[in-house]
Amino acid sequence: MFFKPLDLTTALRPSLLLDETLLFVQDAVGLYEGKYKIPNYQDGHAYLTSHRVCYVAVEEPRKHSVAIDLKDIDRAEYQARFLKSSPKITLYPKPRKDIKRSGSRSTGASPSRSPPPTFLSTRSQSPLAPTSAPQLKSSASTLVNATWICPICSFSNPVPSNFDPSSAPAASLVPPCLACGIKPPFTTVLKAAINAAASREGTATNTVIPDYGNGGLSQKSGTSNILPLYPAGSLSCPRCTFVNHPSLIECEICGASLGNSTPLPASHENDYRSESPAPVFEQGSIRNTEVTECVKLSFRGSGEKIFHERLRGALIQRKWLLHNAPPAPQQPSQSSGLPNLAVPGSTNGSPAPARSPAPGIAGLEQRGLEARRNNEVVIGNAFEDLEALMASAKQIVALAETLARESGMADEGSAETSAVLSESAAALGMVTTKDMLGSGAESLYLSELARNLAEYLTDDRKGVLQKEGGIMSLIDLWAIFNRSRNGVELVSPSDFQRAAELWEKLKLPVRLRRFKSGLLVVQRYDWSDEQTVRQFQDWLSELRQTPPSEPVPWDWRTFGRAITAQETAQRFKWSVGVASEELEMAEDRGILCREEGIEGLKFWGNYITLDPNSGDINSGISNIVI
Amino acid sequence: MTTQIKEEFQFPKTYSFPPFFTPQPNSNTRHSQLQKWSSLIQSYCRHYKLYRLNLIDAIETPLFHNAALKKRVSLPEAREILEFMVGDGRAEWVDSGKGVVWIWWRRPEEWAGLLVDWVESTGQKNVVLTVYELVDGEDSVSQEWHGMDTDVMMKSLNVLVKRGKAQVFGNEGQEGVKFF
Repeated sequence: MFFKPLDLTTALRPSLLLDETLLFVQDAVGLYEGKYKIPNYQDGHAYLTSHRVCYVAVEEPRKHSVAIDLKDIDRAEYQARFLKSSPKITLYPKPRKDIKRSGSRSTGASPSRSPPPTFLSTRSQSPLAPTSAPQLKSSASTLVNATWICPICSFSNPVPSNFDPSSAPAASLVPPCLACGIKPPFTTVLKAAINAAASREGTATNTVIPDYGNGGLSQKSGTSNILPLYPAGSLSCPRCTFVNHPSLIECEICGASLGNSTPLPASHENDYRSESPAPVFEQGSIRNTEVTECVKLSFRGSGEKIFHERLRGALIQRKWLLHNAPPAPQQPSQSSGLPNLAVPGSTNGSPAPARSPAPGIAGLEQRGLEARRNNEVVIGNAFEDLEALMASAKQIVALAETLARESGMADEGSAETSAVLSESAAALGMVTTKDMLGSGAESLYLSELARNLAEYLTDDRKGVLQKEGGIMSLIDLWAIFNRSRNGVELVSPSDFQRAAELWEKLKLPVRLRRFKSGLLVVQRYDWSDEQTVRQFQDWLSELRQTPPSEPVPWDWRTFGRAITAQETAQRFKWSVGVASEELEMAEDRGILCREEGIEGLKFWGNYITLDPNSGDINSGISNIVI
Repeated sequence: MTTQIKEEFQFPKTYSFPPFFTPQPNSNTRHSQLQKWSSLIQSYCRHYKLYRLNLIDAIETPLFHNAALKKRVSLPEAREILEFMVGDGRAEWVDSGKGVVWIWWRRPEEWAGLLVDWVESTGQKNVVLTVYELVDGEDSVSQEWHGMDTDVMMKSLNVLVKRGKAQVFGNEGQEGVKFF
């Protein structure tokens, strides 16, 4: 199981693969590997899709986002809330086919090794920090509790946790003897480590491994299956099996370190979530790293139950298998069926469904009948149950579009919107609906809706915003967006507006703008009034160059000609409402002035403020703007 | 009302700018619009030696009606322009009904200054002149105030009286003035 890099959309959501559908989203989720928190991955959104579990952190989402393929997951376990420990879902990887316990991994710098406290004090580093390991190597099965005997004073010293026999410069890391301070020969330590590792192989599964790096609480909750081995809370020494008092650090008899319940120094946890008991990995990037043990999702908010339920559902469904699978078996006439829908047929009398190539009108009628039968089957199959409907959603959408086209629903006037509508089928899998989100997570719903909208707007395939000249009113967007949802899970206007207001906060590439009159419009984040004004100025100077079609009583070389909201809307592909708002914005800035007459409202370059004799309007206007 | 019809008044370019006749909502633009109207009215009146405007009549004159553009200034708008000029000290309502207005293309104080200069340069100090002589006399033909509205002349002379530079006596219509 690997942490895979994750592509994000413009709205900082995972970009879904082909055929991938979003199943669930939950915020306030932290990521653990094994028992350890992964830094920078402690507050984010967990996205469950039909193919993956994605994690996107709130801070620096582009940097801190990973995905785990569901196909690598063996099983998922649910762990309820316990005291201060948040509810968690543990994802266990499938066993790898090529299991080879390479030395570097098994004795790698596991943070869960058990260095005695005396040794701790000699090292300034955190005991939890892997020193230079590029990979995460935490695994309970790699715990080693080795000792080496000092050849000088025969004191038995523990092997340091970061001791790695396979790495060459390890000799420098060997600490001196704790009793006499003489550095041991490297081979002594190496032998001790290998011996310990070898002897552990057999007993690894049932021996209780003291886990120094684990705080008291998480030990109780995380390793609850071990607890019964300790009557009255006492600790058994891993070396001599003497049952020690639980508050002891070292064994009373042999001096071996016990995985006691001494809490970790608090400083290790302060940076992240001080009230949480689990320790933290000091690790830069976890992308493309392999997970040997398990991954936990910690649900600090809520939603773990639904997440778990849907995750299990997705694991059972195995949608990823369908990725390259051939399409579902279809009726023989399916391939030619859809275009034939409109063929009217009144053939009650042709009983044989067999495709006999009949000539003439009879043949046409037969084909029509076949087509209708096929449609019947498709619709019938689809409504058999909801699962089947989901599976055949694409077919149904295609069918509905064909029917709509041929029933003349799409008349010329709404050609544009119907084009948007038909393209919206692609967006079917992308929408966030309320039931996809955790319970009571209104703000999450809104933020997801905001991201959803931003994606919808910036999607180049649809180009909703581009078609409207980069700016469109919120009402229009609401209408198109809700229509693209095909009548289900419609968004209420108030939710819609609140979601749009979140754009700025979420740093999405679109923004909501309020005109003076209160009209709300949507436009690209980087679009500013100055750019609009510049567009107007360019247009006006263009008008001063082109002679008017009919003689005018004013000096067109100086004043150019008037522009109306309609013309502006046409030129910049805006809606008329937006155009008149933009014109008034420019008037407000003193770039334009108005002429009211029987022909309606027209706008001119502002030659009232400017001296028309002083030539260049642009230089004058830029002075005003500044 | 006017003396003689000289050549046509040359309207400024702004006069043929259609939005000039629409009240502008932008306050900055509005201010310059009013200022341009003010200077247009002043130069128009100076050209035709107009001292007072009857608003109702003036609306129909080329001043407020651009026949080529088919644009005109509405009466309320014209009143607003004149109110602006009153605030600027360039106009004054003749009556409280606000139907007729003095256009001060020269303020009475400025006229008074011109009169004093003229009196001094022609050596007529301490000489008694009638107001009729000042306005319509042969001596003042070359002067700007020749043919001036008598009321305006009286206003200007009153300024001088207040400064103690002149004395006005006589009855209504036959006033005499003596400059010190």
